[in-house]
Amino acid sequence: MSFVLQLLNGGAGNLAAYLAAHVLLCLLPAFFIAGAMTALIPKASITRWLGRATPRHVSYPAAAAAGSLLAVCSCTIVPLFAGIYRKGAGIGPAMTFLFFAPAGNIMALAYTGSILGVDFAIARFLLCLLFGIGIGLLMALLFWRDDASHDAQTDALFADKAGISSPAIGVLLALVALLIAGTLKLWPLTATVTVVNLPLLLAEAWQATLFQWVPFDAAKGEEGVSVQGLLLIALLVLIGFTAYKGMENIVEGANRWTWIALGLAATTLLVAALRLTPHAGGLEIGFTGRVFAVGLALWALSRYARRLNPEDWQGWLWESWRFVKQIFLLLVVGVFVVGVVRQLIQPEWIQALAGRNSLLANTVGVAFGVFMYFPTLVEVPVARMFLDLGMHPGPLLAYLMADPELSLQSILMIAAVIGRPKTFAYVGWVAVFSIIAGLLYGAWVDGVGLGWLALGMATFIAALAVALAWLHRHLHKAIQSS
Amino acid sequence: MLTVKILGSGCANCKKLEAVAREAAASAGLEAEFIKVTDMKAIMAFDLLATPGLVINEKLVSSGRIPTQAEIRQWLAA
Repeated sequence: MSFVLQLLNGGAGNLAAYLAAHVLLCLLPAFFIAGAMTALIPKASITRWLGRATPRHVSYPAAAAAGSLLAVCSCTIVPLFAGIYRKGAGIGPAMTFLFFAPAGNIMALAYTGSILGVDFAIARFLLCLLFGIGIGLLMALLFWRDDASHDAQTDALFADKAGISSPAIGVLLALVALLIAGTLKLWPLTATVTVVNLPLLLAEAWQATLFQWVPFDAAKGEEGVSVQGLLLIALLVLIGFTAYKGMENIVEGANRWTWIALGLAATTLLVAALRLTPHAGGLEIGFTGRVFAVGLALWALSRYARRLNPEDWQGWLWESWRFVKQIFLLLVVGVFVVGVVRQLIQPEWIQALAGRNSLLANTVGVAFGVFMYFPTLVEVPVARMFLDLGMHPGPLLAYLMADPELSLQSILMIAAVIGRPKTFAYVGWVAVFSIIAGLLYGAWVDGVGLGWLALGMATFIAALAVALAWLHRHLHKAIQSS
Repeated sequence: MLTVKILGSGCANCKKLEAVAREAAASAGLEAEFIKVTDMKAIMAFDLLATPGLVINEKLVSSGRIPTQAEIRQWLAA
């Protein structure tokens, strides 16, 4: 019985800690950014670069940009992937798009940055970009005949041109500023500007009770629940309730609840940026530089948002709310389960299996990523757990690369669009590239110089290029002679 | 009799679009047959880059967003 209690406690503790200030400051703006990207960036502004006639040095980066900016949800990923493949730039850019979309979009990067650290987010972004384009080029080389047969079709689908309106750019920039102001751990943001003392005598007692309810072990990387955390959780519940009333029919216009929900969301961000410390005399409220930065970003955001036309801002709010409904609940459940499972895993197992940056450890990381299916973004708290349990950052990155790309579900979906042989080739390349990404990042963390890393990677790419060029010529000859 | 097709793999937006379209048809007093298209190949037969897509009498009228009831009523009447 006490064992079960311990498990549940682990889950609750993990969940409460995840709903704490630093995660909210990342997730809340990220949902709004994802919504803004879906609703405010016209797809044609990027897809115009994905037509059949576009040169390669334009279409591959454009495919990656489409993955990053347009494809925050599966409603866009599959049709856009199929469209690029069948009617547009062909299999190469389609593969780049597919590879980059789940790992390179703003939600994934912001969340990775806030849970695992900025260096992980940067490594994930750069390696995914590089290897996404690499896999795209490889697939195009391997299956060039397939593209040739598609050439007869028109690409009217990609002829539309569109630009992003200037208030929309303002909104996006203000949101990114909000995200940065909320998450960056740098001096002007972390400094305490002034302190106010609230004579709230019970504050310290509350805090003691909370730590008693959700015990935590700082050595294991666990976090406790603070008074501030409790306040934020209460605000979140209120947002959930008011948003349900105000956002469900936002497409037809805003109501009273919409404004209350938005006001609460802004309040939550400001409260999360405060530093609340309970002490014997009451509650100390520290106004950090972060509070002012967040306030400034919110002000800029409201200025630009007011200049959007109604159709745009209603669409923006609807998409943001839809992301919350689609992802947040799964994330909450996922984080709880991770907290439970963590109590069961012995750190020694992880350290023995993937404690060092070896080929075997990276392969284990990738295999785990392929066979486990976690809903959107849950791979990040799972990765955090492994990191705390002593997994080496290299294999961890390999897992982070492979998990969102490859799951049984996504493999079936890809196979439906491009057929089985190409799917198997794609899966194979993703596995190989993920292992190499893990080895490279692991070596970097272990202190290997950039020069050696670049040399290692250049050798790998050169070997691959030679092999493929040979294959390409060989196949060409074989076809011409037959 | 109108034929209204909702293109989409069953994501939240597709369900919302169907609800909005049904309300629009009902409020305009039009009778329409609603068909949900979830098969990817059938969806890609129309020229669209993002779901949900709305097709009225085999013509794609919107994709990648949820139109308002007023817009849908116009398309239904056209």
